[in-house]
Amino acid sequence: MLNLSSFVQKAQQLLDPTQGLNLTDSDRNPSKASLFQNQFRLPDSQHPLFEITAELTIPPANVTQGGKDRDGGYHYVGKLHLSESYLCFSTTPSSFLQSASTSTASAFTGQTHGGGPSGNGFTFPLCSIRRVERLHSQNFQFALAITTWNGISQEAGKDKDKKDTRPEQRITVQLAGTRVACERFCDGLKKGLRAAVGSVGRLKRVTGECYSEYLLRPEDKKNAAAPDAGLGMLFRYPGDPKKLRDRAKMRLWAEYLRDNGRNVTLIRQPTFHKLIRVGLPNRLRGEIWELTSGSIYLRLENPTLYADTLAKFEGQESLAIDEIEKDLNRSLPEYPGFQSEDGIGRLRRVLTAYSWVDPDVGYCQAMNIVVAALLIYMSEAQAFFLLSALCDRLVPGYYSTTMYGTLLDQKVFESLVERTMPILWEHLVKSDVQLSVVSLPWFLSLYVNSMPLVFAFRVLDVFFVEGPKVLFQVGLAILRINGEELLDAADDGAFISVLKSYFARLDESAHPKSENPKLRAVTRFQELMVVAFKEFSEITHSSITELRLKNKDTVLNNIESFAKRTAIRNLGPDSKLLSTAELGALYDRFYGVLYERQQRDLIFKQDQARRRSKSSRPRLADVNDGHDHSVEKGRVGLGPSTSLMDYDAFREFLAGMARWAISDSPSTPRRETFPQDKDNRGFYNSFSRKSDASLLSPWGAGPEPADHEFLQRLFRMWDVDSSAALTLQNVVTGLARIKGKRDILGTINYFFELHDDDKDGNVDREGILRMSEALLFLSRRGLEGSLSPSNSTISLNGMADGGMNGLTNDVPGQTVNERFLGSVSAFIRRCFEYADPDHARNQQQQYFGGSRDTQQKGDEGKPAGGDELADPDAFAIGDDDESDDDLLMMDSPTGSPRAAKRSDTSPSQRAPSIRLNSSTAPSTINDDAASDRRRVSRAQSEKANIALDPSNPLHITLPTFRMVVLADELLEQFFESSFPASFHIIEGLSSSAQTPTSSTLTTFSSLGMGAGRAVGAAFGGAASATSPAVAAGAGAGRGLRGVLDNIVTDGMRVAAEVRRRMEEAQKEIEKNALPGQRVNDDDDEEDDEDVGPLSTGGSGSRTGGGAAGKMTVGGGYGGDPERRSVRSSDRDLLNGADAEASDVNLVGLGETESGVGRNRGNSDASGKSTAKVVGVEFDG
Amino acid sequence: MADSANAPKPSSSVKLVLLGEAAVGKSSLVLRFVNNDFQENKEPTIGAAFLTQKCNLPTRTIKFEIWDTAGQERFASLAPMYYRNAQAALVVYDLTKPTSLVKAKHWVAELQRQASPGIVIALVGNKLDLTNDGAGSGAAESGDDSGDARKITTEEAKTYAEEEGLLFFETSAKTGYNVTEVFTAIANAIPETSLKSARGPGASHAAGRTEEQRVNLNGPRDPNAKEGCAC
Ligand SMILES: Nc1nc2c(ncn2[C@@H]2O[C@H](COP(=O)(O)OP(=O)(O)OP(=O)(O)O)[C@@H](O)[C@H]2O)c(=O)[nH]1
Ligand SMILES: [Mg+2]
Repeated sequence: MLNLSSFVQKAQQLLDPTQGLNLTDSDRNPSKASLFQNQFRLPDSQHPLFEITAELTIPPANVTQGGKDRDGGYHYVGKLHLSESYLCFSTTPSSFLQSASTSTASAFTGQTHGGGPSGNGFTFPLCSIRRVERLHSQNFQFALAITTWNGISQEAGKDKDKKDTRPEQRITVQLAGTRVACERFCDGLKKGLRAAVGSVGRLKRVTGECYSEYLLRPEDKKNAAAPDAGLGMLFRYPGDPKKLRDRAKMRLWAEYLRDNGRNVTLIRQPTFHKLIRVGLPNRLRGEIWELTSGSIYLRLENPTLYADTLAKFEGQESLAIDEIEKDLNRSLPEYPGFQSEDGIGRLRRVLTAYSWVDPDVGYCQAMNIVVAALLIYMSEAQAFFLLSALCDRLVPGYYSTTMYGTLLDQKVFESLVERTMPILWEHLVKSDVQLSVVSLPWFLSLYVNSMPLVFAFRVLDVFFVEGPKVLFQVGLAILRINGEELLDAADDGAFISVLKSYFARLDESAHPKSENPKLRAVTRFQELMVVAFKEFSEITHSSITELRLKNKDTVLNNIESFAKRTAIRNLGPDSKLLSTAELGALYDRFYGVLYERQQRDLIFKQDQARRRSKSSRPRLADVNDGHDHSVEKGRVGLGPSTSLMDYDAFREFLAGMARWAISDSPSTPRRETFPQDKDNRGFYNSFSRKSDASLLSPWGAGPEPADHEFLQRLFRMWDVDSSAALTLQNVVTGLARIKGKRDILGTINYFFELHDDDKDGNVDREGILRMSEALLFLSRRGLEGSLSPSNSTISLNGMADGGMNGLTNDVPGQTVNERFLGSVSAFIRRCFEYADPDHARNQQQQYFGGSRDTQQKGDEGKPAGGDELADPDAFAIGDDDESDDDLLMMDSPTGSPRAAKRSDTSPSQRAPSIRLNSSTAPSTINDDAASDRRRVSRAQSEKANIALDPSNPLHITLPTFRMVVLADELLEQFFESSFPASFHIIEGLSSSAQTPTSSTLTTFSSLGMGAGRAVGAAFGGAASATSPAVAAGAGAGRGLRGVLDNIVTDGMRVAAEVRRRMEEAQKEIEKNALPGQRVNDDDDEEDDEDVGPLSTGGSGSRTGGGAAGKMTVGGGYGGDPERRSVRSSDRDLLNGADAEASDVNLVGLGETESGVGRNRGNSDASGKSTAKVVGVEFDG
Repeated sequence: MADSANAPKPSSSVKLVLLGEAAVGKSSLVLRFVNNDFQENKEPTIGAAFLTQKCNLPTRTIKFEIWDTAGQERFASLAPMYYRNAQAALVVYDLTKPTSLVKAKHWVAELQRQASPGIVIALVGNKLDLTNDGAGSGAAESGDDSGDARKITTEEAKTYAEEEGLLFFETSAKTGYNVTEVFTAIANAIPETSLKSARGPGASHAAGRTEEQRVNLNGPRDPNAKEGCAC
């Protein structure tokens, strides 16, 4: 008996291809499944579940060749593998005869060096196994006898003839392993066999289309039509059958198949490989291609896929189909089959069906030639699956939209030429000959349109079993054989013509002058094969893959820079609004995000898969085979699989360049494993698999993006064709509208459009709340950009301003932001004030008129039926300076006459109104909220309430919105500069002033306090109103967030909430705003944290304000002329609240406030800003 | 091929690249120019094809080294390999297919930015035989009735060509109309200074022509300058 254990050891060594290769752990990146799939050319659905060293014994009846053993059988030691539906056995050729292409150096990777059905053995679908018996023999401790369904289709035909058929195919496998291991393997096998029972019918159908079944049928049963073995059956196969010795080959194959099983039950013995090397017989060629390439297993998996695909997409059009149509008449036109409708039709169907199942590839020129070649020897369905095996496994990336596989292999080929034929290489370089001009078509069309067909098919015979290395070996051999002549060729033309004439004479004798008749009989093609597989036997699957790895980045970078250049140039007219640098950066960001997301996804999945298969040992093939390309899915150079950005990717994309798009409350801690500037440069290269940890976080190394309604809106807006995905074009167009025009009206319009859900030019109450909420969202990390040239000297980008009033701001950025919050609160109020009712217009009008009558004597004369926009009272009360009046007047055509009139009188009108409001205030202090509500009778509060009342639907129009925005300097600046500037397209966030780190989040929470104040102001300051003594701090921040959340989730409820808060704010304001409280007291707004001074502050009233934290509205801003807009908006609120309170307590403050506001408005600020705003308004 | 036969006239070679959408007739134009032949079912070009043809001018002979590229979009990334150092380019569109002119414009833009400065570009509208004006006249006006397959007016393409400073022709590879004219015009448009000496198949001694020489298109070449370092 054999010494099994030493065999086992040896075999293990031989079977582990990573041994002897210096691969790092990360390079190996094991996915045993993919090695396994490649080794046996199995579908992706198969995973190596069990494996065990075993000795295969083929009884003498089945043996055609092999090491003869004294027991009589033939023995092969190797490994037995079990997957979900396959039982595979493989040896290494070193166990047997040395095969021509196997050198010692590569012995451990098997005959095909990991690239295909290596060595000897079998690949049985479990459904092809009829019976497995456990043998109880003394010699075989644990042996299985496997009987297959070999010849199944015939048997099924005539059961009673069973006796006449040949003995069934029966092999024994002796397992070598511990008893437990053997038992486990057998258990797995049992399970698999049971599961496979249902697939026997499918198997029958698939093998029924194999010519071997027909070939081996006894003569008397050959009445049935032969299976389709390609167009050659109708139009003759290329070449002279006599010269090809087709009959002899057929006989040899018939014998081999009879002895070793046919199609799926075939056992590979050394003769098998030899028979392939001498060239396949015409009628079996298709089937053997199908078998060696593994495409038959794809067909077995889904036998009807081809027909189903054709049926499913019947009549549909596509770009690929257009391209296919162009080439149908241009595919092997010299072959008669492709001058016929039949042949053209087959070609059309196969190419079309494939373009549907693999849209990433679609159709690539050269596929037509390859498929045409296949169709000469196989049926449409067979060609369809073989094409799939080609594109997915054998020549991955060759036909993809970027053709990276082609380009990569050209590079690999060049380096192989350089390595193996340095003199020729040097010559090529010197004479500037582009090697790839000749070699690229070789690879791309698998030599089909370079060599005469008969010879190209011989190359294909070997290629399908031994894999892509064959293409390299043949190519190198061509160059070597023609080396002398090529060295004489000085330019591309000469170079090409040398090779052309060589190909034309492949059938001639390689040694025509030789004395030796045997030598004389050797054709040039035979010589080529010998040189290819002998002299270049060191070219193995692993050496190829090694070179591929080495060159991959260069090739992909080249493709990518070309793709980028082209893509940017073709982005359309909108892209012209952005600079080239911006477009380039956008391109990088766009694809960078997509790429990284896919990487993370893949690693995540692989990680899971790895965990699933515990026993996995790292294998070479994962890094080395075609499948490792899928690891990089998403990279531009690899194809278009990811030119679409979904919403989550969009969030991530934005978070890379806009601070506001970063989440405030990351659910996963951020890991700082990547250099900050990685979004700028080389995102592909910076990616390293070693940093799995950070990549496994759902957002990779970047910050977690926010998920805010605004982002969704933006996404929907950019997603012009509502495909739930953005193209680069969409993104560029979207951003060009925000950032490109640098025109404030454009941005304002854009923002409005963004919230105009039904695109009817109106934004309803919900929309108004959403807008303001969006404004708060966008500004919560501070404003960016620069101030427009206005009276204000505040720099919005966080620089301390040299305040002309001499105020110092310790935290200027925050202050600006707080002011902005004030602006937003003013914005809300104004929006509601100037909103148009959706219906019941007259009624409301009357109501407004009535209330005005009671309060504002000065306005009584005005007709009540006018436009709300021009409602002078509302405006007078709601605003504080001339500019707004002017603006209003200009902006609203209907209202302009009255507004014009108003502008003269506004100062005088405003004062009384304020006074009136103020005068109502004091009593509120002593009143409870209920009585406040009861007293709501003043115009402002009425309006506010009506505005917020869901039963009174209202909306604002774009002009209104524009007016409201332009009424506030800070808002205006926001749209003019801050918002566009908040997209840091080029520099990203890393180099911008504020890095989006947790410190920003801290800033946010402190801003949140500020925001709380402003929103409190806007919404009535619930917190302070209910419990003034509570220190506001974080509470206010949370309050803001609560409000924001509510707005998002439940607009109606929030509307009510807002109303309640507005009422409550009344109280608060009254409490705080005692006469004599001076407002230019900076302490209480700058020292947020300093609760002490605030709570114990100079006056009781200030205590309230301080306790409310940043809820204090009136106090802090009064004396600061730079903060006019905030203060004025605060005052708006005050006014509203005043009216609601309808008491007199606030007289002093009210007067002071309005006085300051008016003075300032009249003196420095408003004049200028008015002029500017007006100009903008009407130029736009 | 053997330029030694043309001894009296100075001979220079010009690298010319053909670009354009798939199936517009690039290979057919070359075939017409080189072999005065036309094939109805021409296989698509895989990668690129290389051909040479001489063009006799009164004062000199130009040997065109023609690089015929594949037209399908995805082959575009291979193109830089072929238009590298090209002195002339033929950007071809099919005047019965509007998209092909769009593609042609892309190519022109690409060449203007990426190819050798001073490259001579000719815009060629092919398949004139499919239009009413056929291969007869210069096709100044296109009657748009009676089965005219023309989709791109002469005017439109010509205006564009003038804007971009391109030579412009309408041709038919099928009838041969205007084909040699295109190549002759290009030959004439190549500045004398950028011409280099032709290489023949047997001229292995001239193999010293290196990359810099190709890149530097200014200044006459001494064909024998590098002889010494040829291997
Ligand atoms: N009627 C007409 N047909 C033409 C003309 N030129 C080319 N064709 C046809 O157009 C088809 C494509 O021609 P090719 O020369 O192969 O086109 P190509 O631009 O080289 O195509 P690719 O190599 O795929 O980029 C062929 O069927 C030609 O017969 C022409 O001038 N008139
Ligand atoms: Mg072509």
